[in-house]
Amino acid sequence: MDENRPIFPQIAEQIENDIISGALPEETQVPSTNEFAAFLRINPATAGKGVGLLVDAGILYKKRGIGMFVAEGARARLVSERRERFRDQYLAPLLAEARKLGIDDAQLVRLITDTSPEKEH
Amino acid sequence: MTTVVEVRDLSKHFGPVRAVESVSFRLEENRIYGLLGRNGAGKTTLMSLLTGQEFASSGRIEIFGESPVENARVLEQVCFIKESQKYPDDFKVKHVLRTAPWFFPNWDQDFADQLVTDFRLPLDGRMKKISRGQFSAVGVVVGLASRAPLTFFDEPYLGLDAVARQLFYDRLLEDYSEHPRTIVLSTHLIDEVSDLLEHVLLIDDGRLIVDQAADDLRGSATTVVGGREAVEAFIGTREVLHRDGLGGLASVTVARLSDTERQAARAAGLELGGVSLQQLVVRLTSGTPTDFEEKSA
Amino acid sequence: MTTSTLPAVATARPLPRRLGNVIRLHLANPFTILVTPLMVLGLIFLINWVIWLLVRTATPTDPDTVADVSTGLQYSGASMWTFVYMMVVAIMAMNLTFSLALGFGSTRRDFSLGTAVTFLGLSAGWALLYTGLAMVEKATNGWGLGGAMFNSFYFGIDESWGVRLFNAFVAFLFFFAIGTVFGAIYVRFRARGLILFFLALALVLIGLVALATVTASWGAFAEFFVAIGWFGGYALSLPLSLVAGVAGHLILRRATPRS
Repeated sequence: MDENRPIFPQIAEQIENDIISGALPEETQVPSTNEFAAFLRINPATAGKGVGLLVDAGILYKKRGIGMFVAEGARARLVSERRERFRDQYLAPLLAEARKLGIDDAQLVRLITDTSPEKEH
Repeated sequence: MTTVVEVRDLSKHFGPVRAVESVSFRLEENRIYGLLGRNGAGKTTLMSLLTGQEFASSGRIEIFGESPVENARVLEQVCFIKESQKYPDDFKVKHVLRTAPWFFPNWDQDFADQLVTDFRLPLDGRMKKISRGQFSAVGVVVGLASRAPLTFFDEPYLGLDAVARQLFYDRLLEDYSEHPRTIVLSTHLIDEVSDLLEHVLLIDDGRLIVDQAADDLRGSATTVVGGREAVEAFIGTREVLHRDGLGGLASVTVARLSDTERQAARAAGLELGGVSLQQLVVRLTSGTPTDFEEKSA
Repeated sequence: MTTSTLPAVATARPLPRRLGNVIRLHLANPFTILVTPLMVLGLIFLINWVIWLLVRTATPTDPDTVADVSTGLQYSGASMWTFVYMMVVAIMAMNLTFSLALGFGSTRRDFSLGTAVTFLGLSAGWALLYTGLAMVEKATNGWGLGGAMFNSFYFGIDESWGVRLFNAFVAFLFFFAIGTVFGAIYVRFRARGLILFFLALALVLIGLVALATVTASWGAFAEFFVAIGWFGGYALSLPLSLVAGVAGHLILRRATPRS
């Protein structure tokens, strides 16, 4: 937990990461707010807010009497959201830094292909 | 929203010393509040006023809708074990644990027994002789097992080692989840407790200077770091909470920056950092960083 | 704008229950209030017993001398120790037990009442013990050695058991009461207040003595006490105890358990 930022969005991010990585498949149950709070040693209301963010975004839904579940299509939606943000969040800073160091686009592309490990996707 | 505590213009002076000065706030039901501030800021006095142990010089206090002074009805639902609580001579830990249940209608004996084991309390230890940590642990056990709808923990960590502290958080959170109630954690050790808090009340020199949700406070300030000129140029006329510097580097703390402002800062080659609750409190109060750190025994 | 609705607070538990808690709190550690004074009393008794034994072996054995010695022993103030101890108990209770009771959420009113009941009960208990032991002492002819500790002159040696029981009860109550006042003054006004109080008290007493001396009324004073007898004399302390008790409560009403 990053002490210097509000905590509840960090919880939401954590859950999103797990959904994207496949650790939390769709239609599986997510730990309860109290379980999050106990595990992370944070206030349950804060944990609840983080979960609430995802419920509002339609990533999680509540099965009454049972708990929170990952919504159908959640992963796809999150991936596409992240892809849109990828450019601003990762690409732009990368390009700015490259420019600072005098690496041109061609050199950059070569760096990428050299560095990127061959893997199935 | 159910208000369990309402305080209006509360003041308390001891002669010329103004321990609590025109404090007003509300506490809602079933939340964990942090009552933060330096030693001597007025936290204990405030809690003593809320529990009828001290008499206000002026102002109004309502606990569960009534004045707490000499009010058995209200006081049975409140638990406040002071950090400086006095016990009769030769009172042992077991005497405290035997007598406390009489006064708290919601007391859970099984839970108390479990906590005594967890904290390894020496039942035959004299309250005057046991270590500071054990003394604090007794207060913690009583505070938790009382299950009082309004519970104050006054400097609960004093003397507790790291293991005992973790134990305290865990038990507190666990029990709070299962038996929600209004809890006020009062301490000068902010980093320790900040994740547990939902709302923060900050007292400095008797005045309430912050009354905000904890999450609003985290991230309500930003540090801007970089070359002195670039930093000053970026800051412009913004209100500065704190200035620091080393040679040609400057580190300035300002209020929350918007996303566009953050991008502008990065574009100018400046680095942005967050400000933790403790750092924020240090900046806002008249204290120094050591006021909020554990004093070595 | 939030409308605040207040949670319904349960009614307070009934008065007898709350007072019972205060009483139990005073007695929670029986060592201080019962065991230690009993042990001290026992020790004093033993010491006295040894003295009686020595005296008995040293004196000639003719009945007159023995009776003479026994009468002398009746002026023993050995059993007085417990009174002073109880006064100290009361002083400590006003400070430390008061602090704990308030820490546990008791009201000052409940504490005062509960403490009063506790001290009344303790006075009765001690009085019964003392009178009972005096009976045994008399029956055993001074524990077989002509000794006198509980059959002391100071309780009225020729009075009925009922009167002696009353005297002992009232005496214990008096010491609890003055302990209460001293303790309450200390808690509210601290050391300085206590010193001032004693100074004032000393002045008043000196003033009364001076008055009595100047008006040569010591004779009348003595006659008065002879007239009202033992019972009357002890009974006089009751209003004093009452005043002290009430004063203690009034002082506590604005006292805080500040360290």
